[in-house]
Amino acid sequence: MFPKLSLRSMFHGAGGGNDIQWCFSQVKGAVDDDVAEADIISTVEFNHSGELLATGDKGGRVVIFQQEQENKIQSHSRGEYNVYSTFQSHEPEFDYLKSLEIEEKINKIRWLPQKNAAQFLLSTNDKTIKLWKISERDKRPEGYNLKEEDGRYRDPTTVTTLRVPVFRPMDLMVEASPRRIFANAHTYHINSISINSDYETYLSADDLRINLWHLEITDRSFNIVDIKPANMEELTEVITAAEFHPNSCNTFVYSSSKGTIRLCDMRASALCDRHSKLFEEPEDPSNRSFFSEIISSISDVKFSHSGRYMMTRDYLSVKIWDLNMENRPVETYQVHEYLRSKLCSLYENDCIFDKFECCWNGSDSVVMTGSYNNFFRMFDRNTKRDITLEASRENNKPRTVLKPRKVCASGKRKKDEISVDSLDFNKKILHTAWHPKENIIAVATTNNLYIFQDKVN
Amino acid sequence: MECALDAQSLISISLRKIHSSRTQRGGIKLHKNLLVSYVLRNARQLYLSERYAELYRRQQQQQQQQPPHHQHQHLAYAAPGMPASAADFGPLQLGGGGDAEAREPAARHQLHQLHQLHLQQQLHQHQHPAPRGCAAAAAAGAPAGGAGALSELPGCAALQPPHGAPHRGQPLEPLQPGPAPLPLPLPPPAPAALCPRDPRSPVACSAPSAPPGAAPPAAAASPPASPAPASSPGFYRGAYPTPSDFGLHCSSQTTVLDLDTHVVTTVENGYLHQDCCASAHCPCCGQGAPGPGLASAAGCKRKYYPGQEEEEDDEEDAGELGAEPPGGAPFAPCKRARFEDFCPDSSPDASNISNLISIFGSGFSGLVSRQPDSSEQPPPLNGQLCAKQALASLGAWTRAIVAF
Repeated sequence: MFPKLSLRSMFHGAGGGNDIQWCFSQVKGAVDDDVAEADIISTVEFNHSGELLATGDKGGRVVIFQQEQENKIQSHSRGEYNVYSTFQSHEPEFDYLKSLEIEEKINKIRWLPQKNAAQFLLSTNDKTIKLWKISERDKRPEGYNLKEEDGRYRDPTTVTTLRVPVFRPMDLMVEASPRRIFANAHTYHINSISINSDYETYLSADDLRINLWHLEITDRSFNIVDIKPANMEELTEVITAAEFHPNSCNTFVYSSSKGTIRLCDMRASALCDRHSKLFEEPEDPSNRSFFSEIISSISDVKFSHSGRYMMTRDYLSVKIWDLNMENRPVETYQVHEYLRSKLCSLYENDCIFDKFECCWNGSDSVVMTGSYNNFFRMFDRNTKRDITLEASRENNKPRTVLKPRKVCASGKRKKDEISVDSLDFNKKILHTAWHPKENIIAVATTNNLYIFQDKVN
Repeated sequence: MECALDAQSLISISLRKIHSSRTQRGGIKLHKNLLVSYVLRNARQLYLSERYAELYRRQQQQQQQQPPHHQHQHLAYAAPGMPASAADFGPLQLGGGGDAEAREPAARHQLHQLHQLHLQQQLHQHQHPAPRGCAAAAAAGAPAGGAGALSELPGCAALQPPHGAPHRGQPLEPLQPGPAPLPLPLPPPAPAALCPRDPRSPVACSAPSAPPGAAPPAAAASPPASPAPASSPGFYRGAYPTPSDFGLHCSSQTTVLDLDTHVVTTVENGYLHQDCCASAHCPCCGQGAPGPGLASAAGCKRKYYPGQEEEEDDEEDAGELGAEPPGGAPFAPCKRARFEDFCPDSSPDASNISNLISIFGSGFSGLVSRQPDSSEQPPPLNGQLCAKQALASLGAWTRAIVAF
């Protein structure tokens, strides 16, 4: 009488991060423990359909994975992601004027929505943004009249008939070519790029300024935010992240190292130094320490897909803000509160400066962020439950369900719990991405990319 | 503030981070350095507030032991090094964060503390043979003594004469702002007061000079005081073997760390010496102090090796930066101008040093206070700011310079 609901659809309906059982799907990257610095993954991003997954690394390379078309017959798993294209996006540069080396590390990748057969993405390092076109070639012309197949010209005396070349199929070739290079607009290190919902403009943000570009125009950009003080000695905060609103093309936000988020409306003035809204939560004085300023610095800001909320990540927590309420977040999730008593040693080993990112799932019901020891955390906003999972090669049988992990802050350590002191702070998950439509997640450890999906019936 | 490290270690770690950020690939990361500067500020605030609490306690003990007139002499004696009024001193040194209570004490109280600080330094100098120059000068000028501080040194040292005068016997008088670019001739008492600081010739120096009352009691008073604790600021300089043939006692002496060449230079700014000697015979003048003072910017140099880094780091200054309230008068011109004024015949090292640009300059105002009450303070003038910086770095820390 009652329709038989599959487990999968039930879970999807609930949208619960915990009701989902996450399974290992794939891992990409070298196995050996000796990590070459150039292989360190620095950004991960799904495209708008989720079919493509791009990663950038410290060596300036971009690797794009493509999902296989789902095999309708074998519905027990979704398509795997395989390498689609690899290219060198940025090279190390040297600024001779300032005697500065410019790192080739890819800080951010952002996909443009697909308009034709080709795919476009923006990739940026500290100083330069590039628009890349990734196109497929699966046909080539054959049968030239005057040329041999290998390109040599035929002896004209042997040409007796007219032959018109035709396109014939060939092995798929994916080419990436830089279509635009947006350079020389940033004095400080670029930390964010964000494409506007008008799909014509985008912003790029460095420590002190935000510039607005048109995708077609490379020789100029508009400065829309400038927080550089007249006297650099008075500097108290820097911009740490910026993003356009997903629906309103006039609205963007930027976060600061002081833990504040400013929402700006470009209709208000050409230079948006005065915010329309300021989101700030008063500091809890009982938690004051030497490092209060560091841990309150926001490392990432992301709008929800709906545009109603935004999420910020600081060192110890994830906060969800309602755009209509500026004085405090509507939800706060502690990522690894057990680190609060370890801030001193985290300062010594520089881990306190790690910039964790965060992401929403497609329905905005679950948020995810990374932690140490290759742990990553998910918080279900509806059920208020959270889960800690580990990205490790130990569970590398496909469809192995991941076991939830638990960190024991103090006191007696239960079985299967991990004590804070045995966490490996060199294994950090800074970059995570969630498929826009499915429950597929990409989690980047230092030099490996893990893909997990929910268990399918 | 639960932390496994004390404020000093935090300060040295922070400075090391700033230093190493200069050589990291990709250039200096503004964000990270800004955050480190906040830690520096916090650690410095805690350290200073602890120091003053301790000194106050000690002073209370001493006051019970000594006759009252010595107290007055102490104040007069130490006055040259303490130009700031409480209003200037408090928020800067102890301001921001949760140190509101520390701001409350009266000016006299704070001056007593500072005075005690100087006495401690002097005591320490007795214990450590390396002459450290006038304690007042050392105290005030020493903080200027980092590489970056070399640019501040003249500024801070420049305060000595003009502010020494008005404060003679009037320790509570607010800082006299005036630009005072050149050392004013001090009234006779001052040099005499300064001379006895030389641990090697306290008595001889005071003899020929007027107010004899000032010097001997001060000198005499020092020994009976409790021994300088190991944590006194003077100890930071203990690792620097200043050549004893330098008659540095009457000059302000600062130690500068050049982060490019890793050369530690003890720079002697001799105008105080000049003033000291200008008034009367000061035996210390004849002790091989280089030149008539002004020209001797050269100091002893000691090559700084990585192995000594641990030691060195303890002495690196937290301080410094950011003595300027936001929107305040430009501070940099003060420093640079004075440097030129006072060290015209700079040592060969000065060119290295002058090439170094302090990343913090007068610092991020974040270092001063999170919500600086600039409206409460009088518009800061250059001299005033220099004083603040000097006091901000009380403790004779050397300072690290970072080129941007």
